[in-house]
Amino acid sequence: MERDVSNFSLLVLIVFVMIPFTISYFYQLGLKKDILWSSIRGAIQLFLIGLILTYLFNLNPFIGIPIMLSVMITIATFHARKKGKELPNVFITILGGLIVIEVFVLALWLGFDMVSFTPEEIIPMSGMVIGNSMVAMGLSLERMKSEFSTNRGKILAALSLGATPKQASHLSVRRTLNAALIPNIDQLKTIGLVQLPGMMTGLILGGVEPIVAIKYQLVISISIFSSVSVSAIIVSLVMYRFFYNERMQIVDLEEV
Amino acid sequence: MSQVIYKLDNIYRRILTNINIEIHKGDRVMLFGPSGSGKSTLLHLFNRLDDPEQGSIFYNGKNINEQDITTLRKNVGLVLQQPYLFPETVKDNLMYGPKLFNDWNPDEARTLLEYVNLPESYLDKPVDELSGGEKQRVSLARTLANKPEILLLDEPTSALDDQNIEQIEQDLINLIQHNDLTVIMVTHNLEQAKRLGNRGIYLENGKIVEEGLLPDMLDRPETEALKNFTTNH
Repeated sequence: MERDVSNFSLLVLIVFVMIPFTISYFYQLGLKKDILWSSIRGAIQLFLIGLILTYLFNLNPFIGIPIMLSVMITIATFHARKKGKELPNVFITILGGLIVIEVFVLALWLGFDMVSFTPEEIIPMSGMVIGNSMVAMGLSLERMKSEFSTNRGKILAALSLGATPKQASHLSVRRTLNAALIPNIDQLKTIGLVQLPGMMTGLILGGVEPIVAIKYQLVISISIFSSVSVSAIIVSLVMYRFFYNERMQIVDLEEV
Repeated sequence: MSQVIYKLDNIYRRILTNINIEIHKGDRVMLFGPSGSGKSTLLHLFNRLDDPEQGSIFYNGKNINEQDITTLRKNVGLVLQQPYLFPETVKDNLMYGPKLFNDWNPDEARTLLEYVNLPESYLDKPVDELSGGEKQRVSLARTLANKPEILLLDEPTSALDDQNIEQIEQDLINLIQHNDLTVIMVTHNLEQAKRLGNRGIYLENGKIVEEGLLPDMLDRPETEALKNFTTNH
């Protein structure tokens, strides 16, 4: 890419930050500190990641890629587990889930020559898959907790009739999966119509032919769609067990 | 004296302290006492929705820890305070339990609805369209669909109006007369306890304060605690 954004142009971005800052000031939203802090933090994080990426891109791909993927998966796991801290084994379930998803996606990309094994391609694309899976797992955990709380009476009724935890959780698991998959399906339906997806936009800005950019976008969009679905399924089908004890009794989350 | 079907031996759980109960086949045991006295906790122990911290429970002479939990729950059916019906239709609810055990016979649906005095046309009715009383009757029929040996009832009429209470009571009386059922029921309503029960257990602060035959026990209480309770209810 030959074109660059000048440092002066970047400074002008402060104007964009000042707009929500001013709104918060006038309407006393109490968000001034958050707006400033998140903007500064975001900028520093991006510059740091830029430096790290430059370093990693110059390393042997067999060293740089595994290091970066491990870091991304670990950070994503710590972040997603916040949504289900009360549940046992949540860290290991998310970590295992993200590893399985990433390995599966990499196998598909590399096996069918969709993506080449270079840090420039693997790291940003894996970042999108891991990031979206992280969000899906966090949302599924939250949704599952809320379903178990709302449907506690129905679950008790099912257990009292002789249902196993798996049978008693069927409704809650189904609703969790629905909640996770429907926005994902909707997003795929409107792709390119409501907004041009990020990766495609980036490639076009970088001077790549739109049709090539679209091919890459398809690879990443379908990969994200599949990873998000698998994330929700892993969380739902593994985590429901932790709402019960070994005697098939529902446990209070506080007691877990 | 008939066979002991359920026995609780020196049970401790949450508020429950040193609970010893023998339930005989055909008993209609009414559990009553102030709110928070441990009645529902006690009822959940029979169905193993909860387990004691200390003590042993025997069903048909065998420790319940050595029995299959799902089979025990099928045989010791529980009707909760709220109906908590499953989606979608009345029929879906009636066949829920039997289907878990591959024991659903569609011909039984009508009999189940007859037990609770609902017409056959209700089978395909969505549960959202039922009144509060009808929901509770479907909940009762759903538990009966499992053909339990013991029926546990956790204040099934507490959220209903007088007309629905009378209807459910009549359903229960019919059931008890036509089936070989042992009933253990939590109730706040002492008149209801007299109408439905033949034995009473009065709990206070997790302890059995008095037990005896109904209605005598409520007409002539022996302890001050039960005297006060009957005066206030």
